[in-house]
Amino acid sequence: MKIFRWKAIGTLAGAIALFVLMTWLFLDTIVRRGIEKAGELVVGAKVELASAHVRLGAGQLVLRGLQVANPRQPMENLLEASDMVAGVNPLPLLEKKLVIDSLIARGVRFDTPRQTSGALKKSGSTSSAIAHQVTAWAEQIRIPSFSLEGLGRAIELPPLNVDSLRTVQQARAIVQFADTARRGWEAELKAIDPRPKIDSGKALVERLRGINTRSLGVQDLARTVQTTKASLNAITGTLDRVRRLERSVDSGVARMRAGVGGLDDARRGDYGYALGLLKLPSLDAPDLSPALFGVRALDRMQAVLYWVRVAERYVPPGLAARFHEGPSRARMAGTTVAFPRERGWPQFLLRYAALELSLGGEGAAAGAYQARLTGLTTEPTIYGQPTRLVAQRTAGRIGPRDARLAGVLDHVRAPVRDSVAASVTGFALPSYDLPPLRARAGLGDGITQFTVLRHGGDIDARWLVRSTNVAWQRLADSGGAGASRDVDNLLWRIVNAVKDVEIETRLHGALDRPALSVRSNLGTEVARGLRKEIGAQVARAEQVARARVDSAVQGQVAAAQQRLGAVQNDVQARVAQQRAELDGVRKDLEARLREMTGGIPIPHLPFPH
Amino acid sequence: MLALIKLVQNIVGSLNSQGTPGQMAAGIALGSALGLTPLVNLHNLVVLAAGMLLNVSFPGVLLGWALFVPIGFAMDPLFHAIGRTLLIDTPALTPLWTAWFNTPVIPLTNFNNTIVLGSVIVWAVLYLPLFFALRWAITQYRERIYARLRRARVFRVVTASKLYNVYRLFRP
Repeated sequence: MKIFRWKAIGTLAGAIALFVLMTWLFLDTIVRRGIEKAGELVVGAKVELASAHVRLGAGQLVLRGLQVANPRQPMENLLEASDMVAGVNPLPLLEKKLVIDSLIARGVRFDTPRQTSGALKKSGSTSSAIAHQVTAWAEQIRIPSFSLEGLGRAIELPPLNVDSLRTVQQARAIVQFADTARRGWEAELKAIDPRPKIDSGKALVERLRGINTRSLGVQDLARTVQTTKASLNAITGTLDRVRRLERSVDSGVARMRAGVGGLDDARRGDYGYALGLLKLPSLDAPDLSPALFGVRALDRMQAVLYWVRVAERYVPPGLAARFHEGPSRARMAGTTVAFPRERGWPQFLLRYAALELSLGGEGAAAGAYQARLTGLTTEPTIYGQPTRLVAQRTAGRIGPRDARLAGVLDHVRAPVRDSVAASVTGFALPSYDLPPLRARAGLGDGITQFTVLRHGGDIDARWLVRSTNVAWQRLADSGGAGASRDVDNLLWRIVNAVKDVEIETRLHGALDRPALSVRSNLGTEVARGLRKEIGAQVARAEQVARARVDSAVQGQVAAAQQRLGAVQNDVQARVAQQRAELDGVRKDLEARLREMTGGIPIPHLPFPH
Repeated sequence: MLALIKLVQNIVGSLNSQGTPGQMAAGIALGSALGLTPLVNLHNLVVLAAGMLLNVSFPGVLLGWALFVPIGFAMDPLFHAIGRTLLIDTPALTPLWTAWFNTPVIPLTNFNNTIVLGSVIVWAVLYLPLFFALRWAITQYRERIYARLRRARVFRVVTASKLYNVYRLFRP
């Protein structure tokens, strides 16, 4: 019987030709959808293209009408680009990898309004998860309230809900982590059980000290060497496990220590919260600035944190396998795994891009810019160079000003280092409405500086706005009479005397739980002015609030500190001691082995039993 | 409706075609790849080409595809578990996957997706048992059931239609 049906070759060729024809006809649509889907996966919001055209012969991809929605403000586009032409390297396409040698983009604009919402219907992507994490972080930041309604009233603090105090929440989290982690560590130490190996290793070292190797025959010497090697292997294996455990314990203790250290900050926040219940502000300047500018600062820093984490997720260092959800289809998507290799192509690489940007609006940084981006890739370890971005103003709408942006994302190897620096000098800064002060600050010409430094797991981001020519405008007052009107007048007198304003927002600390701080000379001035006029009354209220918070949190704080101490003394010290003993025995055994063999490897010999 | 009639024709016609039970079983087993594994993948183009070029029953390939689509959907969690074990939880295989992932054309098969890999492996393992089981079942069917079925009115109506004539052009 024939195995092949040769007459079907024509049919098969026809089917393949049909397939190729259909692919060619729909290639532009396939590429457009592919870019939109990949973009949505990374950005976490809609990415839309008006058209995509593939010029196979020239290896060019022409994209028009790109819109990338802002995941945090779905009715705005993060960026728009009217035309983009990319020179694509065809060879990596055979490996399902996209390497763009050059890209020229024109008509790039930021923060443009959208007609329809850019939110994705399905919010299960990695970027959505990052957005949820950042939102969760922001929700636990307590912005102190600024209210003077409680002035002149009796100090009657309502009962504090202990569960709503951040100090208690954080202390409980520390206690819970300590208990769970300790159980796990102790179980692991018990499973490793290094003591018998330490004892037998020490005994072997002692025995070997008593042996004169020159008096041993070849077979006895070989047997002794093999026994020592076997023991050494067992000790080394156990040592590796104990070292891993020690690293885990050390990292856990560091986390707990940072948590306990952060309890003071949390308690200060709780004092502010309690004062807020009395409708009074804290008159400490460090507390008053967040009350005035905290909401806006938090909003800006949330965006910073989001994009730093997105970069971390999609541009990780190293060559470890990467996992992401498979393609969406009627069947299960599964997990798709990428296996990068040192001498291979990255999954995505944009070698060079030249962008013509424009920022809209009438003030600040509005105008035309040119930007150069090099080495944007998903696998920087393969590419071997950091991603660099430089942007500079080419034409502005207002005056002789300067605006610069430079950024480096060095994810070639761990620890990753990101740095972004932007400065805008001499532009008309936007007005700040300050409803708590019932005033609007027209900041006039000034300086805006923005820096982000990320090193490994730590971040330090700074947003500075400085103006030396502030014009104040009084907003509608509270409408009250008597004491309330007096307070309005007091506030107006204070702010109206301030002509130089500097507002600094910082995000610093561990990337998974950074601290937010806001500092402003305006906060200091307002605090000083209020302290002079109403300081005594606020101080009395503050005393009451502090006492109530202290009594509510002290039990949980003590428990957290006790757990930290216990883990340090009972677990960390024990693991460190056993690791040190194992290390000592290993070194002794290695020394004895070197003495016995003189550095010559002894082959494994079959011994008579 | 036309598609349904065609499917019935395929099933009835294929099972009773003049191809040997072996050709029919080989066709169904080959076609099961199209149903068990996610369709739009390069390996299925190879399977389809094999179904056309090899002297197996092509209607059998289509029948296998139709029969195994629901089974494929139902078994996706198992495919995912197998694919995950091979791709993620077996470090010894990582060098192999890395080499494949960085070799031209192979990544176009989407082997690095847990569902694709798991289902292809299951299909490859089941191919021979499926072939032998189907060959036995078709032989039994032709000997015991077909003789009675061919006298039924419905059968005569189906085989007399024009579509059946078209189908016969592809019969082995």
